[in-house]
Amino acid sequence: MSKRVMIVDDALFMRTMLRDIFESAGWQVVVEAETGAEAIEEYEIHHPDLVSMDIVMPEMSGIEALTKILSKHPAARIVVCSALSQKDLILNAINAGAKDFIVKPFQNAQVLEVVNRVVTG
Amino acid sequence: MNIVKFREMFLTEAAEHLEVMSDILLQLDSDPEDQDGIDALFREAHSIKGMAATMEYAKTARLAHHLEDRLDDCRQLGRISAVGIDRLLEAVDLLELLLDDIRNERPERDVETFIATIAKEPIADVNSTTEEKRVDPVLAEEGFLVQLRLQDTVTTAGARFLILLNRLADFGTILETTPSTEALLQGEDPGQLLVRLDSDISQEEICQRLQEYSEIREITFPAAIAEEKSRKKESSGKMVRVSTELLDHLINLTGEMITNRYQMQSAVKEHNWQAVDDGVGQLARLVKNLHHQVLQVRMVSLESLAGRLSRTVHDLSRSSGKEISFKVEGTEIELDRVIVEELTDPFIHMVRNAVDHGIGQRGTVSIKAWREQDQVLVQVADNGRGIDPEKIRQQAQEKGLVSPAQAKSMRDYDLFQLICQPGFSTSAEVNEISGRGVGMDVVKTAVEKVGGLLLIDSVPGEGTRITLKIPLSLSIIRVLIVECAGTRMAMPITRVVQTVEVAPAEVQSSGKQLMIHYQDQLLPMLSLRKILKAPKGSHLNPIPVVITEVQGRKIGLVVDQLVGQREVFVQRLPAPFDQVRGCSGGTILGDGQIIFLLDLQTLFERR
Repeated sequence: MSKRVMIVDDALFMRTMLRDIFESAGWQVVVEAETGAEAIEEYEIHHPDLVSMDIVMPEMSGIEALTKILSKHPAARIVVCSALSQKDLILNAINAGAKDFIVKPFQNAQVLEVVNRVVTG
Repeated sequence: MNIVKFREMFLTEAAEHLEVMSDILLQLDSDPEDQDGIDALFREAHSIKGMAATMEYAKTARLAHHLEDRLDDCRQLGRISAVGIDRLLEAVDLLELLLDDIRNERPERDVETFIATIAKEPIADVNSTTEEKRVDPVLAEEGFLVQLRLQDTVTTAGARFLILLNRLADFGTILETTPSTEALLQGEDPGQLLVRLDSDISQEEICQRLQEYSEIREITFPAAIAEEKSRKKESSGKMVRVSTELLDHLINLTGEMITNRYQMQSAVKEHNWQAVDDGVGQLARLVKNLHHQVLQVRMVSLESLAGRLSRTVHDLSRSSGKEISFKVEGTEIELDRVIVEELTDPFIHMVRNAVDHGIGQRGTVSIKAWREQDQVLVQVADNGRGIDPEKIRQQAQEKGLVSPAQAKSMRDYDLFQLICQPGFSTSAEVNEISGRGVGMDVVKTAVEKVGGLLLIDSVPGEGTRITLKIPLSLSIIRVLIVECAGTRMAMPITRVVQTVEVAPAEVQSSGKQLMIHYQDQLLPMLSLRKILKAPKGSHLNPIPVVITEVQGRKIGLVVDQLVGQREVFVQRLPAPFDQVRGCSGGTILGDGQIIFLLDLQTLFERR
């Protein structure tokens, strides 16, 4: 059975790109969310195997959304996406419970290595 | 308020307070509950605040005030946290930078960001990370070490290591990590991660499970290597006893330097030149501190020397039948162990001289040591008959060491220096105690060999005092840098009596020899260019002259330019350059320039 992923990113471009990468590797993108609040809601509905979460988003940051999801679902597997320059944010996200991180700009193989080891680990 | 007049005073005093603060902080590192230390810190911060506020240096005052508040909390709680010590050291650095701003008449830099950062930190509380850092010695023995290195392409090493730590935690219990999780979360990006892991999983299995991380370049289990290293260490070199407290200081400093390195690396990467500048400032403080601490390793107190001298006096008193009491003062003063070794025999000789020639039937020999800046002064004194300058004057003349005219004009101080000329002795009788041959010339040579200076002072009927001015350490000394024939060279500052600039009109000649007036004396003027066989230079006005003392006589050494003083690390020259006479070592300046250290003694012997 293919793995189910939720993509959270406020940019349509990034969502599309990630969707491509996941689908090309046989993943099923169950839902896309544009905001942190949406992500929390959609997680309740879909319980995906993995969440790919952008950190910098308007209104609610990825870290806040991640913290909220984890407080209800400690086993949630969330991988954060962030630009290299946002090192502090990545560290904060790890501290908050992110299972791994992907640094933008990314390559397909990298993304897949990270997400695969997170869902199998 | 006359700002200009008070600024220098403020800067000097504030710098002193900051130095005291960092000293106390380093002490508190090993004893975070030292109430006196915390109280003293609070007072230092308070003093700085008061001074800065008076001078209207608002930001300096603001930061000092904040520190004062935080330290007050520490006083209430009776302890300071490890994080607190680090943050306060950073605060001291920042205050140093602020003083720099004031010194250079720049506007004071921002302190609010820093205050906001440390405001959140527990300065006083017992912090959980304090406990984490101190590895239980029993735990430290358990488990095994795993060392991870990442691919060079990994840019977020700290974050990657955190993820890997989480993964390793699945395999067993993580007992200890270097750097700590805390440091990684703070943004440290180390080149490697060392983990002490307690796990039932085999090392092969761990390697295999970590294979899915392509970011890892290398996994090693370095326990065996560490043990082998420590075994090798035991068998080589001379042993030195070092207190664990000192060792802790060294380790802490090294740790701070590592942090500093990462800060600077990231600052360079971000082209944040201010942060680079700050980092260099911090590095300067750390290196200075490290140098100071490392030198401590080589330092020994004068206690053992005093013990030997006491024994010498005791024995001499027995064999000569004289009643001699021996007094020592300042044996806690420390000197480089090589210097103490080199000077032991000369000291014994001076004490013998005092007993043999100075003291009649009964008297006192006293040794007194004290510190003056970066020099140690050791004085050997007796309350015996003293030296009669007239006797020396007469004898020097008889031996042809000085001309009658010279003898007449010589001052007592210079006459006494003649005692150190080879073969000079005022005591006609040769006895068993002082023997023949070994005289004050040997003592003086030994003192000069370690870069020291010997001064003799005597009053007939009251006694003789011989004072040795000795540098604290052999390897790092203060030098005067001069330029001659386009080359810069250095001479130990202890060898320099004074530097003067002489107008050509003031130069006199006595026969072929050019002379200059210096403190009512005529000194021969020698050209360094001539000594070094360099081509003649153009005429200078004024003429820069270094007044120095060679074989007990002052001379004026003409150089092209007096460049300045500085502290240098002197290295011995490797063969065959160690055979070059007149040159006792070399040093490398900050800009990479190599400078040779002139050994004036041998330089003039050659002539």
